[in-house]
Amino acid sequence: MPQTPPNRHILLVDDDRGLRHVLTALLQEAGHHVETAGDGPEALAMLGEGSAFDLVLLDIGLPSMNGLDVLARARELPSPPLVIVMTADDTSATLLEAVRRQAYRYLRKPFPPNTIVEVVNEAGTPAAALSIEVVSAKPEWLELVAPCTLEMADRIQSFVMHLEANLPEAVREAVAQAFRELLTNAIEWGGKLDPNRKVRISCVRTKRLLLYRIADPGEGFDIDRLRHAAIMNPDDDPMHHLSVREEQGLRPGGFGLAMTRSLVDDLIYNEARNEVLLIKYVDNGGSS
Amino acid sequence: MSTRMRIVERRIGEITILQLIGRLELEEGDIVLRDAVNRLVEAGRNKILLDMKEVTRLDSAGIGMLVSKYLTARRSGGVIKILHPTDRTDHLMDITKLTTVFEIFDDEEKAVRSFRASAAGV
Repeated sequence: MPQTPPNRHILLVDDDRGLRHVLTALLQEAGHHVETAGDGPEALAMLGEGSAFDLVLLDIGLPSMNGLDVLARARELPSPPLVIVMTADDTSATLLEAVRRQAYRYLRKPFPPNTIVEVVNEAGTPAAALSIEVVSAKPEWLELVAPCTLEMADRIQSFVMHLEANLPEAVREAVAQAFRELLTNAIEWGGKLDPNRKVRISCVRTKRLLLYRIADPGEGFDIDRLRHAAIMNPDDDPMHHLSVREEQGLRPGGFGLAMTRSLVDDLIYNEARNEVLLIKYVDNGGSS
Repeated sequence: MSTRMRIVERRIGEITILQLIGRLELEEGDIVLRDAVNRLVEAGRNKILLDMKEVTRLDSAGIGMLVSKYLTARRSGGVIKILHPTDRTDHLMDITKLTTVFEIFDDEEKAVRSFRASAAGV
């Protein structure tokens, strides 16, 4: 369940004075304590003074010192704050470097005003302190290992979908929805929402396709026993599985696989069904 | 998790319109929707119109809760109908075949009239 987030002590680092003013006002109105810096050296000085910042909102295109270098230095502190990267630079190289250097989230400027408050509030949950292991951070092969929490699904989806920024909107939305469904399935059913268990996500992209592999730590499942899933419903009764879910004490749902199959071009499980490949063709014949 | 989905409630006679604002997703808006509909049905207000114009994201859990609450209302002799689905919501309801379950409207006045027509046996 979402909880009221604690007020955060935030360092806002941006050379745009107007933006600093606006974001500070928004965050203060949401109950957070905000200090600001206009460049990297000033930010590092403030972080090094022993001030216990919970969170740094960090622009990348700073004068005199790149924001990515500030990120790396901030994460080396004895009690590193979470760092939310904010940038108009949406190249995959910048994003991947931010992921590699353990940015908590990545926001592409411009963003709606309430987005910053939402992301800061999310950063106030205990799960935010969990880290993502970066196995590979190449544009054509991103591979991450992450604890099984729903908050992690938000973070991973945010990173991955920023990489797909150049896709047509309809394709991007379809991929994002399908990826989200499968990742949530892996975390909820395979990982039992246990932060000590890990889900492994690989995102491979070529000129003609996007391929996502999600491997969960569960034992898999038998598709013939999925009476609680909409894919097993008779054609004329799209709600049939809900009575099964009620009998089994499961939460309402069960539409994930049916949705995902319709949103991507191929969906392939391994034999145990604890690993899945999601494929979307993006050139010559891709559909949305 | 992010800021919870909000619901703005208003009434037109015996019909309750719930305007959903935000993410209707697992452990987000799904719980908010469940609680709102349960409260209305328990109070005997079981003719409900869900305005989904401002639903920013919808996942399978959100869809599951829509259907579950549709059944809750129906078992009490009422009904839930959908108003102003976004293109994305419409698409998801289509591929899950729920467009055959819910009555869906783009016009509030027509939606409200449909409840009255049903009550009159038209």
